[in-house]
Amino acid sequence: MIDLFVQQLVNGLALGSTYALVALGLTLIFGVLLIPNFAHGEFYMLGAFLTYAMVLAGMNFWLAMALAVGAVILLGCLVDRLAFKPVEQAPPLSMMISALAASIILQQSAMLIWGGEARTIPAPVTGVLRTPFFIVTWMQLIVMASLLLAAAGVWLVLNRLRLGLAIRAVAQNRDAALLMGISMFQVRLATFAIGAALGAIAGALLGATFPIYPTMGVNPVLKAFVVLVLGGIGSLPGAVFGGLFLGVVEVMVAGYISSELSDIGAFAILVAVLLLRPQGFFGQAQVER
Amino acid sequence: MKPFSGIGAACALAMLATPLWADEIVVGDLHPITGPANFYGLPESRAIQLAVEEINAAGGLSVGGESHTFRIQTEDTQANPTVGVSALKKLVSSDVRFVIGPLSSGVGPALFPIIDRSDAITQIIDGTIAEGVTNGRNIFRNQATVSQYDVSVVALFKAKGYGSVTMMTDRFHAGFVGTQPALAASLKELGAEIAGEEGYKLGDTDFSATLTRVASRNPDVLLIRGYPAEGALITKQARQLGFEGQVVWEMVSPPSTVLKNISAAEMEGVYNCIPATTEDYIALGNEKAIALEEAYRARFNEPAGELSVLSYDAVHILKAAIEKAGSLENAAVNAALADLTVEEVPQLISDYVPGEGGQLFDDKGQVTLRSAVSVWQGEGWHPATDVIR
Repeated sequence: MIDLFVQQLVNGLALGSTYALVALGLTLIFGVLLIPNFAHGEFYMLGAFLTYAMVLAGMNFWLAMALAVGAVILLGCLVDRLAFKPVEQAPPLSMMISALAASIILQQSAMLIWGGEARTIPAPVTGVLRTPFFIVTWMQLIVMASLLLAAAGVWLVLNRLRLGLAIRAVAQNRDAALLMGISMFQVRLATFAIGAALGAIAGALLGATFPIYPTMGVNPVLKAFVVLVLGGIGSLPGAVFGGLFLGVVEVMVAGYISSELSDIGAFAILVAVLLLRPQGFFGQAQVER
Repeated sequence: MKPFSGIGAACALAMLATPLWADEIVVGDLHPITGPANFYGLPESRAIQLAVEEINAAGGLSVGGESHTFRIQTEDTQANPTVGVSALKKLVSSDVRFVIGPLSSGVGPALFPIIDRSDAITQIIDGTIAEGVTNGRNIFRNQATVSQYDVSVVALFKAKGYGSVTMMTDRFHAGFVGTQPALAASLKELGAEIAGEEGYKLGDTDFSATLTRVASRNPDVLLIRGYPAEGALITKQARQLGFEGQVVWEMVSPPSTVLKNISAAEMEGVYNCIPATTEDYIALGNEKAIALEEAYRARFNEPAGELSVLSYDAVHILKAAIEKAGSLENAAVNAALADLTVEEVPQLISDYVPGEGGQLFDDKGQVTLRSAVSVWQGEGWHPATDVIR
């Protein structure tokens, strides 16, 4: 069994990369705007379906993905305007209900357009990399590389641009940021655009690996919320580490104990983290004043 | 009694009696027209439509010397038990007495207790393979059971002499889970070692941990029991992780659905162990299946579904039973169904094995469909005639 350890570790990192890629956009929106964006799973789903539709029409995968990302950015901003902005001042429960409603509407719309049948986007790169210690598909390597690029890209935006400075200011203290003249409109728009883009990139890449269907976003978003708690809400390194950690734990449980226990293992760790370190691995404890 | 209430009662009685005496016999078509299983359900519903149109165009049914026609009332189950029960209630409230369907293994068991208690519904199941959903009294099924699927698996192992197998089963599919111990015992009797019994669930996407373990054990066969999207993904990931043995599926899997999830090259040589489907009958040159396919293509501009032949058969079975009963009373039709022989329904496409007296259904209301094994070649399934003729 131990001879399979390296292979299982690579399996775990590959799976974890998919979780982290979905969680990145979610943690950004939640961290900055405190919106539990359940519709993030639908950004992911629409990124996949739009790419699928364009690839099927004969377009190059990467071009189709870029166009899909652009379309989902527009949709993300629209969802914010229609579903979240109007209930901005309402109690948090209204925000959650609005997020769920947006998620269901987008799911059902996709069901009407594409039907419920599962399908896979023709992968732009096929084949596997075989080494003496492990096997990994080229698509999995692309997903892992995309995770690193996406995380680095978001870090650069947040830490090297004025827009990023404004986003971080709102995340730290919204009222103070407003008093300093930061445009909340721009921050919301940018945050939703980046979040939606990350969701769409994840959908397009993972849709070339896994089947896509209108409800495909539900499970990844649930897992992404677990990743958020593990890594620390609003923390980008936390989202990456949390996703990879969750993936490795699930694979190790499935590989060495039982495939039927992998979800139980993941959620048991979630409960343990909530009990022992509620702020997550990379989060900071906050005092309510 | 006031005159108004008397007239009201008479009208109510007349309304209740209308479907019994009218020229039209309403058939409830209970299938997933929308939702995740509509690629199975819609072709079934359309085949019912074609069969009904064909029967009506040929003069309809003769019941006790009177001529009748069929009319369809379609209700969508969405392959969801709750929606399915509501759909059945809608049919019942419309006084529909003859129902064909449903499809999924979740919906069939949910409807069973309601229909089992009723003496005003006759049901012919053409979709679900779940065990224990027929009673031979008013619920009959012209689709196979999971156990009959397993017969095909055993036949394949017998023909090929495989030495070991790992089973991967959708653990939320009650039918497959329920028959797994019996199947494992049958395969052991043939000398096959059960190298592993793994579970997964509908919607899972990453099987790498399990398949790494499977590949390290290197069994002769990886048997996948569930639905085609996961079947395709497991097959693809197993090959990527170095599994070199034989992949065997046990599921209804339309090639159009399969090819949306895996390439034809990756599917080459995979066996599927289920009784023959529409495609198989067409490939075997069954003229009635070819005629149905042509009518279906002409009408809907796409090929018939894998289960379309069963739905087509179900309508003809119902027609034969009503004509044999010479009555529209459910009790009479039920008795006729129980006694119906395969020979009495010459329009049947599927290959039903007659009972001792030539009966179509056994005492539990279940047909026996002849075992079959298909192999993927090129762009679709083809009868594996080297395994089962």
